[in-house]
Amino acid sequence: MPLAVDMRHIRKYFPTSNVLACDDVSFSVNRGEVHALVGENGAGKTTLMNILYGLIAPDEGQIFINEQPAHISHPNDAIRLGIGMVHQHFKLVPSFTIAQNIMLGIEPNRAGFIDAADEAEKVRQLSEDFGLPVDPNARVADISVGMQQRVEILKTLQRNAQILILDEPTAVLTPQEVRELYIVIRKLAADGRTIILITHKLLEVKEVADRVSVMRRGRMVGTHNVADVSIRQMANLMVGREVILRVDKQPAKPGEVVLSAENLLIAGHGGIPAVFGVSLEVRAGEILGIAGVSGNGQTELVEALTGLRPVEGGKIMLLGKDITHASVRDRRRAGMAHVPEDRMVMGLNLKTNLDENVVVTHYHDEPYSERGFLRANPIRKLARQIIDAFQIKSARVGEEIKTLSGGNLQKVVLGRELYGKPRLIIVNQPTRGLDVGSIEFVHKTLIQERDSGAAVLLVSVELDEILALSDRIAVMFAGRIMGVLDATIATEQDIGILMAGGSLEAETPIPEKVQ
Amino acid sequence: MPRRLRQTLDNLAIPLLAVVLGLVVSSVFVLMARTDPVQTYQRMFCEGFGAKGCQTFGDLLVTQTENEDGSTSTVFAPFYGAGGHRLAVVLERATLLILTALSATVAFKAGLFSIGMDGQFVLGAITAAFLGYWLPGQVYVLAGVADPESAPQTLLTVMHLLMPPLCIAAAMAVGAVYSWIAGFLKVRLNVNELISTIILNAIAVQIVNYLVRYPLRSDFNSTARTTRIDDTAWLIPFNRGLFQDVEWFSGSRLGIGIVIAILAAVIIWFFLWRTTAGYEQRMAGGSRLFARFGGIPSEQAALRAMLISGALSGLAGAIAILGIERRVVDGYAAVGIGFDGVMVAILARESIPAIIVVAMFFAGLQQGATNLQFGDLPRQLGSIIIAFIILFSSMETFFRNLINRIQTRLRPQRAPAAEVRPS
Ligand SMILES: Nc1ncnc2c1ncn2[C@@H]1O[C@H](COP(=O)(O)OP(=O)(O)OP(=O)(O)O)[C@@H](O)[C@H]1O
Ligand SMILES: [Mg+2]
Repeated sequence: MPLAVDMRHIRKYFPTSNVLACDDVSFSVNRGEVHALVGENGAGKTTLMNILYGLIAPDEGQIFINEQPAHISHPNDAIRLGIGMVHQHFKLVPSFTIAQNIMLGIEPNRAGFIDAADEAEKVRQLSEDFGLPVDPNARVADISVGMQQRVEILKTLQRNAQILILDEPTAVLTPQEVRELYIVIRKLAADGRTIILITHKLLEVKEVADRVSVMRRGRMVGTHNVADVSIRQMANLMVGREVILRVDKQPAKPGEVVLSAENLLIAGHGGIPAVFGVSLEVRAGEILGIAGVSGNGQTELVEALTGLRPVEGGKIMLLGKDITHASVRDRRRAGMAHVPEDRMVMGLNLKTNLDENVVVTHYHDEPYSERGFLRANPIRKLARQIIDAFQIKSARVGEEIKTLSGGNLQKVVLGRELYGKPRLIIVNQPTRGLDVGSIEFVHKTLIQERDSGAAVLLVSVELDEILALSDRIAVMFAGRIMGVLDATIATEQDIGILMAGGSLEAETPIPEKVQ
Repeated sequence: MPRRLRQTLDNLAIPLLAVVLGLVVSSVFVLMARTDPVQTYQRMFCEGFGAKGCQTFGDLLVTQTENEDGSTSTVFAPFYGAGGHRLAVVLERATLLILTALSATVAFKAGLFSIGMDGQFVLGAITAAFLGYWLPGQVYVLAGVADPESAPQTLLTVMHLLMPPLCIAAAMAVGAVYSWIAGFLKVRLNVNELISTIILNAIAVQIVNYLVRYPLRSDFNSTARTTRIDDTAWLIPFNRGLFQDVEWFSGSRLGIGIVIAILAAVIIWFFLWRTTAGYEQRMAGGSRLFARFGGIPSEQAALRAMLISGALSGLAGAIAILGIERRVVDGYAAVGIGFDGVMVAILARESIPAIIVVAMFFAGLQQGATNLQFGDLPRQLGSIIIAFIILFSSMETFFRNLINRIQTRLRPQRAPAAEVRPS
């Protein structure tokens, strides 16, 4: 079969972070196949693809496209060769319409003026041709993440991409959007296009890919037919050791009520109500999971509980104290920790170093500061402790953090939040974009915290994660909690019904599962 | 620490490259004026940074002096002060640039793109100019002194100790309040601080023009001006006081202000990097969401940053009057020292040590360029050269990529010894 992509002996060393991201990597993809590229966080997957797309110059190695030697020193070269890339973090202009984004730089014009009607028409045609419906005139700022991704894909197709690189396309999608994406990917491959898919979800590899290549610590450790390897084998290849895909945990021993919320009424974006009368309770030593398709009020709920968003009505109690209107700092003082959904913008300040990032929740306390002056040594010691406890390998005290990989960044956040034994831990999508090894680590850590008596509120759109960790599961839909299930007897099907807004009593009467 | 060292070298390489490229490109215009670029640049740098009699680039470093016995000896040019050194004049101007650049930096670091330095500066200046004659006047009246010449020496000494700090404090307060307005509008009403400070600058300039032309006008001099400040409020320049006999200072009005400016730089550096308040401001500036998430009172941090920023510009205005100008002359409000400070802060990439170096370099270039016109060269030529240097200095990313590319070309051959495997 002809090779669409053939990368040979690629090497890339980053002097600034002293990391050998690609070490003699050879990688080839057949024309018309869906090829998955998997590997731990920081294995070098994005780097390898950035090299293929001309964003990074390799130190050594050759690239062949359609069996012809290619010199790709700029994305324009890549585009000319029919390569398109959808990045891990989308690069759309929020204030532009879908059509304007897709046609950016190649706008149809009449005598030098952009022909807006033709622009929209072209995009409509394109979306029809590929069966990817979009509204050309909608503003990107107003559309869902799944739709944004579709726009990114259309953008590459408009530039006639034959080889499509998708860097972790499903990390931010809802299950429904993921299924739609699979269909698109398979259809594009059936048309003879080549798809390279970077992902951490091995189940996904099984479902859509023909072959899979595994990277580990800058090396390519093998390429297999997906049919020949099991998920467990893939995981082991990635991490280089046996991975426990499902953490085992003892039954919970719930203690006193740590967090209770009553009848919360919360306004969302633009003042539109997002949460209607939610009540919940989390006890010491248990994990309450909140399941639900993203966008059903979970984000607003977490923000209100953690003090980032005002509540319009209702009451929040932490360890018997009313914190409904308390500041973030007071809540943290009272023992609340928060692992936010967006680690890049909210969880970390990528413009500064590790020390200043880990001290943000403690800087006003002794020994980190005294009478308004920061004390460097205790801060450094704190950073050291967190690096050691969480084995954040490529991180160093006092160094910049922006080049750390996703998994390591999340470890920095977790390390900071779990430091100092919080009584309540609120985590939102804690393993988004993490590899199996890191997920295992995060899950183990959360269960450890539970066992040592912390109350954990886990919000996740990953049903697997909810099922693996929770002791009780609350399902959110359209700003309400549809039901709270005991995790030991809840089934995926029950949760699915509630997530879609259904009711268990009405359709499948199993009342003993509803608390 | 070789890492640190390399970083410092990198940071130095970029401005140097920028200056060289700026000079090369502006040669085109120098040639158009039918002059020799090398000669022109030599003159410009000599006028800007050289000792008396500086002729060539070499003279900037070493110069020949004639001893009493007729023999000659070689001396380090920056220390050779016969007839007054131009570096003293550079420092005089740099004093104000350092303070306004610090003012801009404090705001920038808090994520506030305030460019209100001009307005705060001129309001500080007019405050100091007014109090500088009015306050001593009131004291003389109260003490029943008819003629300051005949005032008792002890009274004058006490006043000389009190007046400058009072005037400075008042100017700082005025600058701080004026800057706070933009901060308040930002925090409470989400008014873009760039726009509000531009408007506030225009208002301040008109206020000062009005004050100088009408209520505070001192005489019927054809150019309106305020009364000259009293001698007791005057920050006496080095060449009239402390270092009267050191020729290096003659010809400049450099004074205690430069010490204040450098002290301010040290204090602000310490404040930003070593105090919790400074930390709060920098974190709020780095990522507003992150600051909120971490429980940092970011509105308070923003308002505090604006207050400090304004106070620094006010301080610059006070020093400009008390130490240099001694009165506000009509038109002074438009000289744009505050804006030059913004430029210095941007070129120094908000690094405080760099501010001091860049401010001096900027002041020297301006002086050299201005003095070019006293030869046969058009005045605009100097401005063109400066503009090109600034233009290239702002192309940081371009140069950084260039340097990175060169580095990666060179690096692989030298295999890294302490290589870390990605985890
Ligand atoms: N621009 C850069 N400068 C310095 N180091 C970098 C840079 N980009 C990546 N690295 C480092 O190279 C290594 C590989 O990073 P890369 O982004 O390719 O990983 P990845 O496999 O895509 O991981 P993830 O699954 O987290 O996205 C990491 O250790 C990272 O810190
Ligand atoms: Mg990646």
